[in-house]
Amino acid sequence: MTSFVAVLRKDLLLEVRGGQSVVALGALSLLVLVVLVFAFNPGGGEQGAEAAAGALWVALVFSGMLGATRAVSAENENGCIRALLMSPLDRAALYAAKLAAAFIFMAVAEAASIILMVLFFNLEFDARVLRLVPAVLLGALGFAALATLLAGISSRLRGGDLVLPLLAVPMFVPALIAGVKASASALSGAAVGEFAVWLKVLVAFDVMFVAAGYLLFEYVAEEE
Amino acid sequence: MTAPLIEARALCKSFGPTPVLRDVNLSVEAGRAAAVIGANGAGKSTLIRLLAGLSAPSLGAALLFGEPARSLRPELRRRVGLLSHQSMLYPNLTARENLEFYATLYGVQDARAVAIEWLERVALGAAAEARVRGFSRGMEQRLALARAMLARPDVLMLDEPFAALDADGAALAAALVREAMDRGCAVLASAHSAGALAELGFAVFALGRGTVMSAEAAAARRSAARPALARQLS
Amino acid sequence: MNGRAVRLGLGLVTLALMLAALYMVFVYVPTEAEQGIVQRIFYFHVPCAWVAFASFALVAIAGVFYLWLGQQVWDDLGYAAAESGMVFCTLVLVTGSIWAKPIWGAWWTWDSRLTTTLILWLLYGGYLMLRAMAGDSEQGARFGAVVGIVAAIDVPIVIVSVRLWRTIHPAVLVTRQGGHGLEDPRMVATLLVSLAAFTALFIWILCLRFVTLRMRTRLGALARSLALAEAAAQD
Repeated sequence: MTSFVAVLRKDLLLEVRGGQSVVALGALSLLVLVVLVFAFNPGGGEQGAEAAAGALWVALVFSGMLGATRAVSAENENGCIRALLMSPLDRAALYAAKLAAAFIFMAVAEAASIILMVLFFNLEFDARVLRLVPAVLLGALGFAALATLLAGISSRLRGGDLVLPLLAVPMFVPALIAGVKASASALSGAAVGEFAVWLKVLVAFDVMFVAAGYLLFEYVAEEE
Repeated sequence: MTAPLIEARALCKSFGPTPVLRDVNLSVEAGRAAAVIGANGAGKSTLIRLLAGLSAPSLGAALLFGEPARSLRPELRRRVGLLSHQSMLYPNLTARENLEFYATLYGVQDARAVAIEWLERVALGAAAEARVRGFSRGMEQRLALARAMLARPDVLMLDEPFAALDADGAALAAALVREAMDRGCAVLASAHSAGALAELGFAVFALGRGTVMSAEAAAARRSAARPALARQLS
Repeated sequence: MNGRAVRLGLGLVTLALMLAALYMVFVYVPTEAEQGIVQRIFYFHVPCAWVAFASFALVAIAGVFYLWLGQQVWDDLGYAAAESGMVFCTLVLVTGSIWAKPIWGAWWTWDSRLTTTLILWLLYGGYLMLRAMAGDSEQGARFGAVVGIVAAIDVPIVIVSVRLWRTIHPAVLVTRQGGHGLEDPRMVATLLVSLAAFTALFIWILCLRFVTLRMRTRLGALARSLALAEAAAQD
């Protein structure tokens, strides 16, 4: 447990010291949202809510891939990953720490994305926006879990930056569907009970992928 | 004779079909030290990586404390220190923060005090709060050495420990290694030439063409007029 | 048991079953009332889908054994299953498309089954690209095993979520009907024979591919031993 905290603390400290990850994620989210506004030219009302929800999740996916890649490859500079592997640090604890760091970066970026989404898609800052927070957090956790594991693979392959999106996107589809549906429902004013089924899907997704990553990361982190 | 802490048994490593190490046999007991000398590309770093458990052997065994290095239990990993080509330091953390972090990972009590103590021992006390990013290569090397040794390991593996160190730095490193040996640590080091390590009491082995032989055997080889091999070993 | 004899035997069994299936699909089974002749594609489409999904499970199981036991044979099996399964997965999508066009007027429909198969196809593709990039190494095998396992865990939740997606928003889409509710027992029989034929075909292809990969593994080991021996001889 202390090791997990130590690694996470170190990652957050490095971020504060000019890691630029949160800034990069936020910038990427902003750009994605801008592109999508031009792409879909949404009106208001229910159609606007759906477009907004979709755009928010596209931004989440792209910034998530960047966030996970950075969290994992931060250890590649100077070969620090080797020192971590040689230490008594449990591989699963290392995964948990990287996952937590990626999740925190994503959560901050998502907060910014939500605000931008409300602005760009002409929505209101009211209770409906709050209702989409659980879906977004669950989605960010699930994506962070998935992408941290896959980034462990892609960061070790030459030309591996293609592999991460190639695998992460299809694997994330269930959570993407659930997240967009839940977000669209929340934004168009539905009560939580109506989209509770989607939240359950997100929870199931999160549980499975955090567990899978926790168990499998040690096989990814080894050297040849 | 006590069981060796570091042991390579018929160790082979090939990358694809190309053999880099073949039939390497080496053992180091507690309090003893071995130096592996070889030219660039001879496989010194590969050997150390195998013995550190970072890489898997193609054939044979790389053992630490009698167990396969690759799947070492956390309690045993705590007792191993590695100094490698890469500094394994975080550039944006200060010297003290780096040491404190690793001390915490290794379960060292009172990590901060230990970190400061070791900074003094490698003559980096003045630079304790400076970020590693601004360090010279020699300062990095000394800090990396501190990192390898601060948990008082029983096995120490040093890949070219005197690289980038000036005379003072080298003397410091030598003193620390000597102290570790006196403490009962088993030390394995690699270098281009034997001089400094032999003085410290290291048993010298030559790594050539993928395999290891003692210094005497290497000398005998040289005098048996085999030009290609001799060029490699000299 | 002689490997070549087994493979030959499997090939013959596959041939026999395939001939039987072809006969039944094109001659024996009656034409379906609603969809006409095109409906016969169903007897190819469904078995391919069954094979594609089963093969993926095989990739994951082989991955588990590889990570657990560390024996290369499991990775060879998994990789062979991925390559073979990919072929059948592609066939599902192609036959689905050919079937959809005359019936629904569109080359692609986002109904739950086809969508899930598309995701599966992307996962297969990702696995194969990963293996291609990682090359012939222990690392490639390890990464493949991890990805295969994670992807296989993902598939059930994909199925559930896509089905929910389609039922909760049925408005935009066409829902396909094929697959169940076969009234005529001849249709059931034809489906079963076709299922057996395609399973046999898959197993046969898998064996061929698996044997090739085993040979490649052994060649690699031999090359390594040879290189070691040569180096030793020069001492």
